[in-house]
Amino acid sequence: MSKTGYLILAISILVALVIIFIVSFVLYRRTPVPKGCEDIKMNDEKCSSCGHSECSFYKGSSEEK
Amino acid sequence: MNTFIAFLLAIISSMLIDNVVLSRFYGICPFLGVSKKVNSSLGMGVAVVFVIILATVICWPLYNYVLVPAGIAFMDTVAYILVIASLVQLVGLFIKKYSPSLYKTLGIYLPLITTNCAVLGVAQSNTDQGLNFVESLANGIGTSVGFLLIIVVFSCIRVRLESANTPKAFKGLPIALITAAIMAIAFMGLQGLFSGLN
Amino acid sequence: MAKEKGQTKLNFLKGIANENPLFVSILGTCPALATTKSVEAAIGMGLLFTIVLVCSNILVSLLRKLIPEEIRTPAYIVIIATFVTIVKMFTNAFLPELYSTLGVFISLIVVNCIVLGRAEAYASKNKVFDSFIDALGMGVGYTLALILMAFFRELLGTGAFSFGKIFTFIPYFKLQIIPVGYEISLFQNPAGAFIVFALILAVIQFIKNRKAELKAYNERQEKIRKAQEAKLAAQNKEGGN
Repeated sequence: MSKTGYLILAISILVALVIIFIVSFVLYRRTPVPKGCEDIKMNDEKCSSCGHSECSFYKGSSEEK
Repeated sequence: MNTFIAFLLAIISSMLIDNVVLSRFYGICPFLGVSKKVNSSLGMGVAVVFVIILATVICWPLYNYVLVPAGIAFMDTVAYILVIASLVQLVGLFIKKYSPSLYKTLGIYLPLITTNCAVLGVAQSNTDQGLNFVESLANGIGTSVGFLLIIVVFSCIRVRLESANTPKAFKGLPIALITAAIMAIAFMGLQGLFSGLN
Repeated sequence: MAKEKGQTKLNFLKGIANENPLFVSILGTCPALATTKSVEAAIGMGLLFTIVLVCSNILVSLLRKLIPEEIRTPAYIVIIATFVTIVKMFTNAFLPELYSTLGVFISLIVVNCIVLGRAEAYASKNKVFDSFIDALGMGVGYTLALILMAFFRELLGTGAFSFGKIFTFIPYFKLQIIPVGYEISLFQNPAGAFIVFALILAVIQFIKNRKAELKAYNERQEKIRKAQEAKLAAQNKEGGN
């Protein structure tokens, strides 16, 4: 294949990558969050009294002693 | 057989001797940010391993068979970041749609992987150093498993640190960085590991 | 007009002190640890970083009405990657020593959280000039932070400051401060980078704690004083009756 051919191929691949990126980005944002994962956020009422130190929202002793 | 042993040695050397976090300084942000809990750092580490290996497998042929023959090798950074970012989005999309349980554990970390230096760093250094495909793959596997190892070990230490009585000025990040320094010194001891073989 | 000028100054200064990207927001730590072996390399890294940050912030701010909300992040990533490529090629052509010293870390500016973070948090909402000042402040703040780290690492690790190795257009000179043989080469190693960073953060945290304590103390004193005054006033009233 000639150099021009490679150039066209490379540019089209780059453009395709941009398109794939944008399409997957938009699709990712539009896909609804699966059930049960709606609020992966800290729940103050439940978390403050829980002592499970493996939970990613466990505050532990670093906050206040 | 010899190439297989060389492959294994390359993996171990980029995993331990030239560890990604402690001596090459890729991926410090997630290393410090995520590693407070063992579970979450394990999730992050596994996701990084997956993305780095896939990115290596895609980026190397893209550079050597497309960008170099076309004479636009300087576009490598742009191409790599596009590959990595779309990869992360596609994997995220797949997980979000088909595996809610995986999404629950990995979901919040996926967007962070795009901006993890380790992924782009591996892809870029593979081609900058002119490694061949097998060496690149070994570098990718070694680096990512090294990242997983270090982030999990570090989170185990940090769990203990939380309850330790550190000076007030050192609470939080400073003491974590001191811990990382001590780990880096420990890993320096591995530097002579393969010197007898050559 | 004077007020606006003050605003601009504040906008510039916040990146250097109150919102320093490295020491306060803890962003962009990878190059901060990797490229601070010598002050010269730190200056080079900071310079390239500032150029990319300023250019991408200006372009993002110019295009802020053109880019649809939904594809913001992809567009910003492409913009930043383009500028990094341009900067990389210029460095390779005009400062090859800097290029080989920094290596992969020039490309890694693309994934530096500060650049993308500034584009999303500031430049996408503000006018071109404000974004320019914001980026300049952040870039200078980051550069100064890098220089501070490199200062300690080079001083303790090699005992001397040497210039002219990377920026070859200035004559080479070496400033020996610690006598030869008394340097601590650990500070040139990765471990030293972690230690220096940790100590700087600890000092900052110490000062913050001090300030908070002082504030709490003053508030307490104020409360006691007010209570006493009120008591005194009440007593006076009673006495008057």
